Amino acid sequence: MENFTALFGAQADPPPPPAALGFGSGKPPPPPPPPAGGGPSTAPPPTATSAPTGAEKSTAGGGPFYLMRELPGSTELTGSTNLITHYNLEQAYNKFCGKKVKEKLSNFLPDLPGMIDLPGSHDNSSLRSLIEKPPILGGSFNPITGTMLSGFRLHTGPLPEQCRLMHIQPPKKKNKHKHKQSRTQDPVPPETPSDSDHKKKKKKKEEDPERKRKKKEKKKKKNRHSPDHPGMGSSQASSSSSLR
Amino acid sequence: ETPSKPKGVSGSGRRNFIVTGLQDIDKCRQQLHDITVPLEVFEYIDQGRNPQLYTKECLERALAKNEQVKGKIDTMKKFKSLLIQELSKVFPEDMAKYRSIRGEDHPPS
Repeated sequence: MENFTALFGAQADPPPPPAALGFGSGKPPPPPPPPAGGGPSTAPPPTATSAPTGAEKSTAGGGPFYLMRELPGSTELTGSTNLITHYNLEQAYNKFCGKKVKEKLSNFLPDLPGMIDLPGSHDNSSLRSLIEKPPILGGSFNPITGTMLSGFRLHTGPLPEQCRLMHIQPPKKKNKHKHKQSRTQDPVPPETPSDSDHKKKKKKKEEDPERKRKKKEKKKKKNRHSPDHPGMGSSQASSSSSLR
Repeated sequence: ETPSKPKGVSGSGRRNFIVTGLQDIDKCRQQLHDITVPLEVFEYIDQGRNPQLYTKECLERALAKNEQVKGKIDTMKKFKSLLIQELSKVFPEDMAKYRSIRGEDHPPS
């Protein structure tokens, strides 16, 4: 029984009044139950007014109030302060949230060529693919030498056999109704703009003088047969007269 | 800086111009080592959207969260003061003791 008092501290004072127990004025507390062993009367269980110390305040049962703990350290910066003002972001906020920000990427990068407003997944130009599959680096950028440049030059003559079939499209599986429509369209597939322009220009240059000659010959023929032409008419008359 | 395209230059000149341009871009890599970019911006760029929209949405979200947390803090403060007030009516001596303890450790905010 002596240990019983030691657990809860020495009780030299008389039992505290009921108000101090936190039950308010009014009814007195019920009498404490007799000790089990029937030993000498011991002090009643200690109340909340047993002398609290700074060290005992943090423990659950030792302080003046049950579960009373020390408050957490107060910090200056909490969610109650305006963090945008605190971090001097007012100008940025007014710039981005005050005005209307344009939706398209081309508005942000107007000088960048190409169709940048299209999703990157369409033409395999996404940045995500660059992160997931980074390209193999290591080589340096060197200027193209003369021998390498020869590969870029166009030479006159027929196409090599490897490249001849590139113009021909594979047969399209279309209905007969659509077949008539497809005839009116150009069957040649679109080539790279630089190559096709060069070849077309070359062809045009070659064909133009021939066309001109043909046109001239046609005109001459027409003019020979037309009655308005003076020279030819007289010669015809003379020839016709000679035949008579 | 965007250098102007050379006009009237032969094909080889243009191609080597591209090569030197790529060399210049490669040299710029060292200047960008300290720059960190959040991956979420790439989502905007890949969709063809202005990356400034990401900044805008970040600021808006931060402000909204700030307001939300401020609301919680203010509500809790009001609740605390109301609770102490009401408890003091019911348990005046205990609350006086509580206030004296709290007053020693932490001045009333």
